[in-house]
Amino acid sequence: MKSRNRAAYLLVFLILLLLSITYLVPIYVMVTTSLKSVEEINRGQYLTPTANPQWSNFSEVLFGSNRFRSEMASRLFNSVIISFSVTLLCALFGGMGGYYLSRTPNTFSRVFFILVGIALYLPYQVVIIPLSVLMARTGLGQSYGGLILSYLILNVPLACVMLGTFFLSIPRELEEAAFVDGANRVQLFFRVVVPISLPAYASVSIIIFTQVWNEFFLALTLASRDTQTVQVIMAEAKGTTLVLYNLQMAAALIAIAIPLIFFLLLGRYFIRGLLAGALKG
Amino acid sequence: MAMQSETPKAIIRKHARFQQPTWLENVIFLGPLLFFLLLLYGTLMWTMYVSLTDWKTVAPDYQFTGLKWYRFLVSQPRFEVDIVNNLKWLLLGVIPTVAIAIFLAYFLELSPYPKVEAYIRTLILYPVAMSFIVTGTVWSWLYEPGRGVINTALRSIGLDANFRFATNPETATYWLILIFIWQYLGFAVIIVQSSLRTAELQELVEAARVDGATRLRILWAVIIPNIRAGLLVLISLLLISTLKMFDIIFIVTYGGPGISTDVLALNMWITTFQQHLVSAGAGLGVIIFFLSFVLVIPYTIYAFRKWFS
Repeated sequence: MKSRNRAAYLLVFLILLLLSITYLVPIYVMVTTSLKSVEEINRGQYLTPTANPQWSNFSEVLFGSNRFRSEMASRLFNSVIISFSVTLLCALFGGMGGYYLSRTPNTFSRVFFILVGIALYLPYQVVIIPLSVLMARTGLGQSYGGLILSYLILNVPLACVMLGTFFLSIPRELEEAAFVDGANRVQLFFRVVVPISLPAYASVSIIIFTQVWNEFFLALTLASRDTQTVQVIMAEAKGTTLVLYNLQMAAALIAIAIPLIFFLLLGRYFIRGLLAGALKG
Repeated sequence: MAMQSETPKAIIRKHARFQQPTWLENVIFLGPLLFFLLLLYGTLMWTMYVSLTDWKTVAPDYQFTGLKWYRFLVSQPRFEVDIVNNLKWLLLGVIPTVAIAIFLAYFLELSPYPKVEAYIRTLILYPVAMSFIVTGTVWSWLYEPGRGVINTALRSIGLDANFRFATNPETATYWLILIFIWQYLGFAVIIVQSSLRTAELQELVEAARVDGATRLRILWAVIIPNIRAGLLVLISLLLISTLKMFDIIFIVTYGGPGISTDVLALNMWITTFQQHLVSAGAGLGVIIFFLSFVLVIPYTIYAFRKWFS
């Protein structure tokens, strides 16, 4: 029995060690490298922290310099505008659509729901060509509107299914009582249903925000010079500043800061959102 | 008295109205959703039509040419490379991830230390908040053959490490898939864990334990058959993500060395937006669409059955 216990401890220890190395080394190297000078990196001791942190690396990445022309501050702003707008509009439109579908059990709703369900699995590759034509023709491609609209097309159905599934689980008696009291359906939705569904809204929002923030394919193809997102500028910086690993890592940290803060602070909603997104339907 | 006798009728009428939304309510609630769905399915049809036309420069050309560009695609050696690589992604991106996730989730359930569980969960889940572009940037550096982090670290402890990682055309795709597994493992563990935690399953496991079954036997004979629904969801999601994989390849190798790590999604982008063979690119988009459609059929049947019951 005792030797068996020891074997179990050893197994736990080995798994912990292995996972810690594979998951801590990348983020650790990112942080230490982002604070080093190029000379220090060239010494090749990547795992030792620096004695002399170069905070200026971060300001260089944010505001640009001679050796790093892809300044990130304005792209960070673009990403914030686009991701927050898409998240808000998805929560609004998806919530209303999901509520409707969850409360009207007829054939029309079922067909509608199937169309929404299929939409969740449409790859961006199959909509990108018409979208880029539309953006060019209407001039939307030059403004935030173009990217926001494109993201809405695929994320409103997702919000609709996730929130609709949640609405199915809340009892109708509450709404019927309010309805008899003379509230119309729109008031009912915003005054009764939305307030008790705020946790679900939080989970859906955090998932959609992270998805849009991290999306690359549409942003790469549709963004103009003025609406470029953080991911696009990251890809560009990697292509042009191949040897400046300190600046690359500083840029990477800036690019993940906002979603990572959400994850660390709102982990519970984040995980619930992941599960709801995965187990939708 | 007259008031009281009328009220129930009024209530019934209002209940009937509750079931039957008005025309205006239909528009308000469904209008936006309908608009986005129309755009979505409209662009889908549009792409399908483009793939049957002769659009091969920057300027659109909607002359109908049938399957001409599909024939062109299939005749390209690159298409075969893509299919083989996509198959590698589908198999090696999904099976190991699911297997490790089942093992880890079970391990976390068995572990008597709640702190260990919380630590591992956060540890393996943080990459979910990161983009493939960032992950790819970091791993490109870890992977760099000459002065990259992994080879340098191995050399510093006296090993003769000369891994070529993503620069060896023979094995590059496998190293790219490893990045994907690294990033998705935490997500997979969360899903498996949530399906492990049902009361019925806990009872079954307890009963098997009382009967003296070993832990591995319980995992194989009791747990895996009972979390099939969760596994179906997980496998479908991973299949879709690996089929559409674009970002990691774009940022780490851009399909290289040569075209050895090219996949359908990358080929689609290069064909459409670099070479401007738009009809051929649309054809690749349609192929990706049909493949993903086929891959999620089992899940779709399951999900609709669950939703409508």
